[in-house]
Amino acid sequence: MADFRLKAADAGQSAGLLERAKAGDLEAFDQLMRANEKQVLGTALRLMGNLEDAQDAAQEAFLRLYKSLNRLPDIQEIRPWLYRVTVNVCNDMHRARRRRGWEPLSGPELASSQPDPELAWVHQERSRLVEMALKTLPEKERSAVVLRDMQGLSTREVAGILGSSEVTVRSQICVARGKLKKFTDRYLGKHL
Amino acid sequence: MNCSDLEQQIAVESQSVDLAEHLKICERCREFAQELEQNTAALRELSIPPAVFATVRQRVISEIQVKDLRTMWWTWSAVAAAACLAILCVSYVLPRLQKPVPPAPVVAKMIPPKIEWTPQSVAQRVRHKTSGRFAAQAAPVRKTEPLAVVKMLTDDPNVIIIWLVDQKGDSL
Repeated sequence: MADFRLKAADAGQSAGLLERAKAGDLEAFDQLMRANEKQVLGTALRLMGNLEDAQDAAQEAFLRLYKSLNRLPDIQEIRPWLYRVTVNVCNDMHRARRRRGWEPLSGPELASSQPDPELAWVHQERSRLVEMALKTLPEKERSAVVLRDMQGLSTREVAGILGSSEVTVRSQICVARGKLKKFTDRYLGKHL
Repeated sequence: MNCSDLEQQIAVESQSVDLAEHLKICERCREFAQELEQNTAALRELSIPPAVFATVRQRVISEIQVKDLRTMWWTWSAVAAAACLAILCVSYVLPRLQKPVPPAPVVAKMIPPKIEWTPQSVAQRVRHKTSGRFAAQAAPVRKTEPLAVVKMLTDDPNVIIIWLVDQKGDSL
């Protein structure tokens, strides 16, 4: 479970960082990006399904953060705010794609940590299938399962980010996990 | 409660005792739970090359700098335009608004001068004692009134055109 709270010493430094970034200090803003880039790019990559689009989505999310810095009174609000914006940006990009009737086919190349080549292949295959299965999920279910399972947020945090109730999120996650499993079973179960 | 009912509980990571007991005895449900965990692990495993992060950061900073420059350019353009407008107002419009009405030329009253003539006859010529010649009377005595003065005021208060006019109205 992700913990949005910061240690007292870090909080002081980070608050200064936020104030500097608000004043237009790009170095401070760069540090803010470094602190949140893994969550933003990781979420975007899972939601978009390819690195190029994920980079575009992350860039847009950070630009929106820069514009909205003055509306964020506390540095602890940045992380959930960024999750929300990243999910929205990715959903917007998906909708724009659907309007144009175009979806990229390439997926991310994932590095496997498995030492056994066969296991590594299965592992990589599962990752690829999960990635593909994610694309078949509806917007809300995909966002919920990525935030819950990939980012490790609690159901309450996911509900806060997506603007839904906890019950709804729990249901969405349950349905999404079931669909992911069915999708992976269809390929891995039969072929392996 | 059958396995398909419990799958839903497994999917939402239920912590119920019944489920835990069921998982101990049911291999199918254990496999189901295991596969869900594997999928979750696959979702979490994502290695993004560090260069990608750097690229995103660089792109964001560049974009911000370009936007800041654009904003600065528009600001200065607006300031320059406002300054030009102000200069135009000061140098062209305001003087026209405040232009003083030139005073009508003042013409002094022209009084024709009275000229008295004293005609002298030949008899009245005086013989000059010494030269024996007649000394003609000098030019007739002309008694004149002061000449009329015409003053013309101009736009410039320091410049006044003055001219003198005789009884005929000719300027001198």
